[in-house]
Amino acid sequence: MFTSRSIQYAGSLAAPISRRVGYLGGLRLMATESHAPIKSRSKAAAAGPTTYSALIARLDLKFEDPKTMEQVCTHKSYEQGRLACNDRMQWVGKRVLNLFVGEHLAAKYPNLSVEMLQDLQHAYFGLSSLAEVGRHFGMQPALRWESVVKEAPEVGLTKVLGKSVQALVGAVYQEQGALAAKDFVHKHILGTRALDVESIMQIKNPKLMLVALTKEKGLPRPVARILKETGRFTSSPVFVIGVFCGAKMIGMGFGSSLKMGEYRASKDALIKHYAKEIKDFNFPTIGEGEEADVTFFPPKYQDSAARA
Amino acid sequence: MLTFRLPNVLNEVVRAHRDQFIRQTKPKNGVGVFVFPCRKLVFNYCERSGSSKSMMEYLQKSAIDFAKENPQIEVVVQPRPSRHPIIRAFYTNGYQKTKCVRKCSVDEIPEVVKSLRDHSGHKLRRWNKYVISDTPSVRGIYSPFHVNEVHSISDLKPKN
Repeated sequence: MFTSRSIQYAGSLAAPISRRVGYLGGLRLMATESHAPIKSRSKAAAAGPTTYSALIARLDLKFEDPKTMEQVCTHKSYEQGRLACNDRMQWVGKRVLNLFVGEHLAAKYPNLSVEMLQDLQHAYFGLSSLAEVGRHFGMQPALRWESVVKEAPEVGLTKVLGKSVQALVGAVYQEQGALAAKDFVHKHILGTRALDVESIMQIKNPKLMLVALTKEKGLPRPVARILKETGRFTSSPVFVIGVFCGAKMIGMGFGSSLKMGEYRASKDALIKHYAKEIKDFNFPTIGEGEEADVTFFPPKYQDSAARA
Repeated sequence: MLTFRLPNVLNEVVRAHRDQFIRQTKPKNGVGVFVFPCRKLVFNYCERSGSSKSMMEYLQKSAIDFAKENPQIEVVVQPRPSRHPIIRAFYTNGYQKTKCVRKCSVDEIPEVVKSLRDHSGHKLRRWNKYVISDTPSVRGIYSPFHVNEVHSISDLKPKN
């Protein structure tokens, strides 16, 4: 009677693979004896010894030790914080991330008010958005953490994942310096998303706000004029209204009534003003590193300039 | 004498509750930088069964080279006794794909591995449009056949 260990293979397969345990390049071989039976998909999806080096390679990072990545993905809740966790890295990384994101947003949108910039930053670079970035990296299966609620193991995942991304930025900053961190943030976090500024703004009274804005800028008082209309006395009229400052049209909106069109046109004018983007700009952090000969010309802080 | 100043209307910024703006904006892969979608490949084989023979040969011959060439993929080799050999792929968006290689020869397995590696992780779906854009144009995509002034080669001036 043959047992599994006594079967001999002809040719190149001299010994069963199960006898060889260890790391070969990027492979992880597990012994049949010590391996628990494969229960479910989640077992196969768990983190292993090569997860962190694969993560480093996927993100094109230059950490010398995969242990750094392991620390980045370890939350303090894992093993009650006895192992190396990402606490401090997250603290530093959050501030580094917010620096690069903040200077980018402040330079890109010169007309946005401070509260709107804050809302924009929270919406696109807050913890839940960073959690999406972390999922995109494939960090979720690599996380080591424990939920506060034992019955619901997924509670708190978003926060932990977001913090791990912040910790990753902190790790890049501490290991490779500010320029590498800036490069990482710009490539992976800033560069991959399109920001929709319009959704951030909640304008309650656009006509009044537009009048105040044009007065402040010294422009003539806005006047609404009909550009196109159809079906005025029918059940479904359409009016296209434009808001003019003198001879220049600053906003356009449509509606089923004249008032509605004017409201939308004023809103459009306000959005065009506040969400104005600057395409080419330099950052204050450009003076460091190899491009030290490039000088930084700060933009005028148009939003906070003195009122006329 | 007291002067009355009207409040600055422009300071009346309405701040909605912060959680209202929790945006699940997904990063667009490839826009700033590309993150490889396939994150893990698990090779399962059985030592005794005949269907795993070509799989075992592949594992001994080319699997390590494959793992070295693709450092961004976590390659795991696990025995799975009394089952057909399978290759299981895990992707960054949570998708999983499994391919049974019991009938494949030694030359066919690398092709299966390659197809699993190159998969994007999204389910196969039918795209009804030939251009998918965040900023769709109102008047449609440009077509050179539907313009008034058709460009012809005789319009080019000779180099003199």
